[in-house]
Amino acid sequence: MKEEECRVAANTIIQGRYYLMKIESAYISEKSKPGNFVMVAVSGSNDPLLKRPFGIFKIDPPYFYIYYEVVGRGSKLLASKKEEDRVMVVGPLGNVFPEYENENILFVGGGRGIAPLYFAIEKYSGSNNISLIYGARSKEDLLFTEELKKFPLKETAFYTDDGSGFTKGLVTTDIKEIINRNGINVTFSCGPDKMFESLNEEIGSLGIRNFVSLEAFMGCGFGICYSCVVKGSDGKYKKVCSDGPVFRMEEIKWQT
Amino acid sequence: MADLTADLGFIKLKNPVIPASGTFGYGGEFLQFFDLDLLGAFVMKGVYTDERGGNEPPRIWETPSGLLNSIGLAGPGAEGLTKIIKDVASKTSTPIIVNVCGGTDEEYLEVARILDVMKEVAMLELNISCPNVRAGGSCPAQSSSDTRRVVKLVKENTEKPLIVKLSPNVSDISSIARSAEEAGADAISVVNTFLGLALDIEKRKPVFKNFFAGLSGPAIKPLALKIVWEVANAVSIPVIGIGGIMTGRDVLEFILAGAAAVQTGTVNIVEPTGSVRIISETLELMDELKINNLEEIRGGLKI
Repeated sequence: MKEEECRVAANTIIQGRYYLMKIESAYISEKSKPGNFVMVAVSGSNDPLLKRPFGIFKIDPPYFYIYYEVVGRGSKLLASKKEEDRVMVVGPLGNVFPEYENENILFVGGGRGIAPLYFAIEKYSGSNNISLIYGARSKEDLLFTEELKKFPLKETAFYTDDGSGFTKGLVTTDIKEIINRNGINVTFSCGPDKMFESLNEEIGSLGIRNFVSLEAFMGCGFGICYSCVVKGSDGKYKKVCSDGPVFRMEEIKWQT
Repeated sequence: MADLTADLGFIKLKNPVIPASGTFGYGGEFLQFFDLDLLGAFVMKGVYTDERGGNEPPRIWETPSGLLNSIGLAGPGAEGLTKIIKDVASKTSTPIIVNVCGGTDEEYLEVARILDVMKEVAMLELNISCPNVRAGGSCPAQSSSDTRRVVKLVKENTEKPLIVKLSPNVSDISSIARSAEEAGADAISVVNTFLGLALDIEKRKPVFKNFFAGLSGPAIKPLALKIVWEVANAVSIPVIGIGGIMTGRDVLEFILAGAAAVQTGTVNIVEPTGSVRIISETLELMDELKINNLEEIRGGLKI
């Protein structure tokens, strides 16, 4: 990993509050693997002080992409960046999704949790049988569906909480049928905590390999500040940034 | 070119910049970013005798130009740390300082004894000022008598130079610093974090389970600078200035206020190569201001 000042090659609105930023870094784009994230400075000043973590959405050396939703002050500042602006970036950070071949993998994305999954789907779809479940609040929040359909996917299921544009439901609505139908033995998921809780209830005891990529508010991003911890099933805290962000589902102590 | 040497009396450092405890892991985590030999010294994260998990999340909260933390000194315990120290020491010749914690006098003593026999440890920093481990943010550094007792006990049982890290959350920092000096401290490091409170208006609850948390970052720099100036005027042992240092200019301000060296904290979290940048900025600014060495301006405030 490195700390680098990088050129913003593009920063465009995809839809509504959602942006895609294209950042130039030969190092980060070449070193990144699905699951990795970067810490990005949203201001060039001391306020806000902390860099923000973003899962790597796609690479196209010397560029990498981050996909983000404008939700607070940090992401709002990031959205104001223009082409040719410079941003300080630390990365690539964290661990990665395990690499498989010839497995039946199900990707489960909730909202902007699709970001690290997109990279993994792009990379792994050629060598595995991939299915995808992807859900969000409404059709305004369910992005990249057309792009995702271009990958060789065995089955895709899109859901919205309010039924707008796609099937009304949650990512867990038909998950067991989809797992059975496609002989799924591995899942990769990323989304909000509530989604993980329901996923754990639905598929945590099916005896398949479930990997989750967690989101957390972070200080450093590389394991020294001990801020972004989650409770493990062994009772010990795990650092999302450096022990993760990818964990086996059973490593985490879920609320339910 | 200016001479960056920082003289603490008992040791000369190649430069005055020392990453602070709790913001630099155990040093090794930074090897991927830069050569640790570039630093004046560095302080390892505070350690108790036993392994500790730390506080229940949330553990940090961003404030304007600052950071509130309630980490709670998570760590491997002193015996576990000895292996880490040996490993890091094999990769750098920069002096290693270990931050010593204790829930009781006996624990401070035990941790110090474990580290005292390690040739890889250059100095100990006695942490009597962490605000995040006891109820209401209390710590031994809030009382002159507790400070005196703990410092004396540890000093009598270690051969290592002993830096005592003090709390800003006191009414008379000068008298507490003098107590530490009289009890045998070789240097004083000030300040640990300022107690602060973060509130969640939606839930009408404090953000942190521990209620108060420790504020650091550039937001506290003027407060820290004042305390460094007060302590430097109260004691004759070297003072290591800490508090929101982000630039080379900040370093020289702390030296001018009377510090012999400085510790960088929050900057290491937000900018992993920040301490190295600060060292080169300090050198550049000294050249620009025609300052030949740090002693030339240390405590030399024109008033």
